[in-house]
Amino acid sequence: MTVLAGIGFTAPWMLLGLLTLPILWLILRAVPPAPIRRLFPAVTLLLGLKDDESVSDRTPWWLLLLRMLAAAAIIIGLAGPVLNPSRDESGSGPLLLVLDASWAGATRWSATLDQIDAQLTEAGRAGRPVSILRLTEPEPPVFQAAEAWRNRLPGLVPQPWQPDEAQIEQALAELSTLEGDFDSHWFSDKLDYPGHGALLSELQTRGEVTVYQSPTPVVAVLPATYQDGLIRLTAMRATPGPADRMTVNAQGRDPAGVMRLLQSAELAFESGALIAQTNLSLPSELRARITRFELQGQRSAGAVTLTDDSLRRREVALIAGTVNREGLELLSPLHYLTQVLIPTADFVDGGLSEVLPANPDVIVLADVAKLSLTEEAGLIEWVEQGGLLLRFAGPHMAASDLGRDDEDTLLPVRLRSGGRSVGGAMSWGEAKGLAPFQEGSPFYGLQIPGDVTVTTQVMAQPDPNLADRVIASLSDGTPLVTRKPLGLGQVVLFHVTADAEWSTLPLSGLFVEMLDRLAVASAAKSRQVEQLQGTTWEPIQVMDGFGSLSDAGNLAGVDGPALVSGTLGPDLRPGLYESGKQKLALNVLSGESTLRPITWPSDVPIKGQEISSETPIGGILLSLALILLAVDVVASLALSGRLGMARAAAVALGAVLIAPQAHAQTQEETEFALQATQELVLAHVMTGNAQVDDIAYAGLQGLSQTLYFRTSVEPSEPIGVDLERDELAFFPLLYWPITPEQTQPSAEAYAKLNAYLRSGGMILFDTRDANIAGFGASSPNGRKLQQLAAPLNVPALEPVPRDHVLTRAFYLLQDFPGRFAGTEVWVEAAPLDAEQIEGMPFRNLNDNVTPVVIGGNDWAGAWAIDRNGQALLPVGRGYAGERQRELANRFGVNLIMHVLTGNYKSDQVHVPALLDRLGQ
Amino acid sequence: MNTARTLRERSEAEASRLPPLLARAEHLAGTVLLGDHGRRRSGLGDDFWQYRPAQIGDSRRMIDHRRSARGDQQYVREREWQIAQSIMLWVDQGASMRFASDKMLPTKADRARLLGLATAILLVRGGERVGLTGTTLPPRRGNAQIIRLAQAFSEDAEADYSPPEHRAMTPHSRAVFISDFLGPLDEVELALTKAADRGVRGVLLQVLDPDEENFPYRGRTVFESVGGSVRHETLKAGDLRVRYLDRLARRKDDLTHLCRATGWQLGLHHTGDSAQAALLWLYRALDGGAR
Repeated sequence: MTVLAGIGFTAPWMLLGLLTLPILWLILRAVPPAPIRRLFPAVTLLLGLKDDESVSDRTPWWLLLLRMLAAAAIIIGLAGPVLNPSRDESGSGPLLLVLDASWAGATRWSATLDQIDAQLTEAGRAGRPVSILRLTEPEPPVFQAAEAWRNRLPGLVPQPWQPDEAQIEQALAELSTLEGDFDSHWFSDKLDYPGHGALLSELQTRGEVTVYQSPTPVVAVLPATYQDGLIRLTAMRATPGPADRMTVNAQGRDPAGVMRLLQSAELAFESGALIAQTNLSLPSELRARITRFELQGQRSAGAVTLTDDSLRRREVALIAGTVNREGLELLSPLHYLTQVLIPTADFVDGGLSEVLPANPDVIVLADVAKLSLTEEAGLIEWVEQGGLLLRFAGPHMAASDLGRDDEDTLLPVRLRSGGRSVGGAMSWGEAKGLAPFQEGSPFYGLQIPGDVTVTTQVMAQPDPNLADRVIASLSDGTPLVTRKPLGLGQVVLFHVTADAEWSTLPLSGLFVEMLDRLAVASAAKSRQVEQLQGTTWEPIQVMDGFGSLSDAGNLAGVDGPALVSGTLGPDLRPGLYESGKQKLALNVLSGESTLRPITWPSDVPIKGQEISSETPIGGILLSLALILLAVDVVASLALSGRLGMARAAAVALGAVLIAPQAHAQTQEETEFALQATQELVLAHVMTGNAQVDDIAYAGLQGLSQTLYFRTSVEPSEPIGVDLERDELAFFPLLYWPITPEQTQPSAEAYAKLNAYLRSGGMILFDTRDANIAGFGASSPNGRKLQQLAAPLNVPALEPVPRDHVLTRAFYLLQDFPGRFAGTEVWVEAAPLDAEQIEGMPFRNLNDNVTPVVIGGNDWAGAWAIDRNGQALLPVGRGYAGERQRELANRFGVNLIMHVLTGNYKSDQVHVPALLDRLGQ
Repeated sequence: MNTARTLRERSEAEASRLPPLLARAEHLAGTVLLGDHGRRRSGLGDDFWQYRPAQIGDSRRMIDHRRSARGDQQYVREREWQIAQSIMLWVDQGASMRFASDKMLPTKADRARLLGLATAILLVRGGERVGLTGTTLPPRRGNAQIIRLAQAFSEDAEADYSPPEHRAMTPHSRAVFISDFLGPLDEVELALTKAADRGVRGVLLQVLDPDEENFPYRGRTVFESVGGSVRHETLKAGDLRVRYLDRLARRKDDLTHLCRATGWQLGLHHTGDSAQAALLWLYRALDGGAR
């Protein structure tokens, strides 16, 4: 690579192309732009016209410059310019990249990959074959072209374990098969592991070894422990450093089953300290939900610790059949159970009926023979939903008829009457010991101490299914512990008492382990190899190097002891394991783990992980050239007139015009709203019948005039409302003339209308046919009205009562004629409980405005005036007709007053004045 | 098979072109009829001439009862017998007319045909006989003639600039020539003088595209006629603009002079403008000539 002015060129000879630029300038300058072919019928008029100059328009200098720049950018871009070219000359020959690829480097894995990528790029440029060896998963190293490895980079992931001896040996074996010398770059995760010295010396014999490691410290979190009601969290770092604070997050499922952050705690490393600890106090409900702790900001398996049953305290209800004898605690049948369970379980106190609603994990019935029917039913239901019922035999049970003839639902087996005693003073034979646990029994693998003897037991009837249900038996083969599943739960019966009267079992450590195996007690202490002897654990979820869990798939089960003592590796992956009802979390670090920092001999060069990234800028230059050429295309078109300025202007103008058009709709709406709200405006519904609409408009205009002259209501010009399009909320009153042919409004319009009615609007329906029809469905208009009003929320109606506020809102009116007089006008019915008070002319009626007024008197026809204020349509004949028109106007005034003032005139305050006017 | 199919496709395309032109022309003509020109409708022989006593052979329907009621004799109302005017149309079908500078604009031919047909509809409704100059379609009356005209208008001519058809012009009839008049002027001159010799008067309507009026071109350009027969190359189109506009103005002048000499009327219409205005002008021009 040639470096010129800080920029390296991979193909510097291409730069000679720059010399051609001046020639290109001359050529481009001489060639005029190509002509455009245009259709033009008036070409006959052009014939014979000569151009003024014989030369065409020259290409302007700025266009030439643009093209020159584009050409220069192409030439330089093809010369392969590289910003920040790496100048350190790396060696030649094959290159081996050794990766620890353990969890400790997972947090910085992407940086490591970037660096490997950079090295591969460099090796590729130098033509060195490369091989990559991952120590956590050694494969035979193959030297390949660097490009081949670059494609495989995303597949390189860290493993959640450290390289162990076997893997190092395997790696050494693989290396010995390689021929020739090679240099090695070792990407270390900064943690020591056995065998790394051997590997280093092997590599050093083959060539140069350079170590790359990041200065950031390795941090890990130890499994959480539970002590004295507190969760103890410990974080550890490999090398002492300055004081530091970290956050550890407890995550788990919320009641909805969604993973979320349940709690977080601060961990403070003191300066120079390797360990930081904190205690977390959580309610047991919350504690039971925690599934993992992880260090914030770290993304490695070591910074995650999974929790299992150990944080969970089981809730146990202990119920004894006999009344506690005061002062004889050691004789209490529950004493030993209590002692066993105190460290690991929470007790639920109370009788069975109180305990069941608390839904404990385990209910222990010690020598309980009789259960009430409701208790039994509740208990069965609880067991079927997953409860563990643990029963102990005793004198009461032996004496009762429980499970004698039929198998009791809450007993695993049928019992013989009376039980038996062996080895007592009055009996034959010796006290019996325990037989070794059978394979398949949950107790399989437990060591049986020799001093456990059983003297008395209840006996099981030899039923066909007895053998399946026995999980522990005495040396003579009689069952000691039996179990049967019931629904989702199970019922376990110890055929001895829970105290030491019938056997010495409760006195032994075996009793504790048995309860543990039955998941009565959960393992608060770390598990011992002995405890897990003979169990097989099935992985449910396994962790990858980054600390995220994935489904275990069909990974093979693991022997119990290996879980505790084995070292992590491909066969023993960290994750969640399950055996029966028990769960066990296997974490990357165990309680005793320490982080040992790696030390390198002084002759090994160690480099940090910073990479000064080389930036090839050829692509940028080439795209610049493309952009310049695109500009050139536009400029050339513009120059030659193909891209007419008019068109550009049209485009610009179009852009300007289109934008306001988008707002035209809202603009229109705004104008409508302004028009409707700046003054009080009466509105009528547009029926689609021009004549009716005109009359309605003119009528409202007349009413507006009347209001203006006579009252303080001063409406402006009325508005015709399109129910589908216009907002209704602005209008106090909608006048709705009915025509038989008008269209039914849409569902949206009805929704609007109903909202309008709800919010205090009023609709005046006018069938306009009182001259020919009474009110009802007898006329086409009446039928149409029924259709139109059916989807409306119209309350119960009644003809206007004589004391309705409409009769006195402004004028005192008795009837409400329009162009026609006669039919009744209907309004919202008064409430049923409205009663006239003695001496009062009016009832105390409903508070609100009637939402609809329905009639057929063609009021708009009576109100309608023309431009000169003259009545448009005749009403009646002569003076009587004018009187009727006047009454129609008064009705209009009353109606508007009623809409605007509500029940104001209904107030009893006005009664005296009204009475005075009424002449009473 | 191929030819049959293409023939059918082409014939369908042709057939489909006719009704829209007709419909648009009817529509356009209808807008004029709504104005104050309705008297043409009842035109022919509607004017009162005289009352004469009814004779044997007159149908009862012909008896004018209002007049007859005044006396004992029965009268028949006689109307003036009017001879309809013959109007000959010539619409330039040349290739030069098939030009529109913008996609939004109609071609000149389209506009010219529309105007011609609309005029024809108006005239036929007014009771006149309308036909084409030349021998293809002699003047006739009735709605069928409109359809024949529409059919004749939907045929394109191959030549770039087709000369006005001046053969077989009925003496003392009236004529309407619609074209861009960008072709050789002497042909127009010949046609007009010949028409004037026969006592035919009429209207020239020049239909131009806005671009032909403005010449908004710049840069090195090869101008070609629509048929491709004439081409002109220029290095700087922008410089030609003034001279082109001069020539165009001179062409219009020539046409004006020609019309003045022969007693014809000259109208100018741009395809960017409303067709209705041009139709009104055409109708007025013909109407004015009739008086």
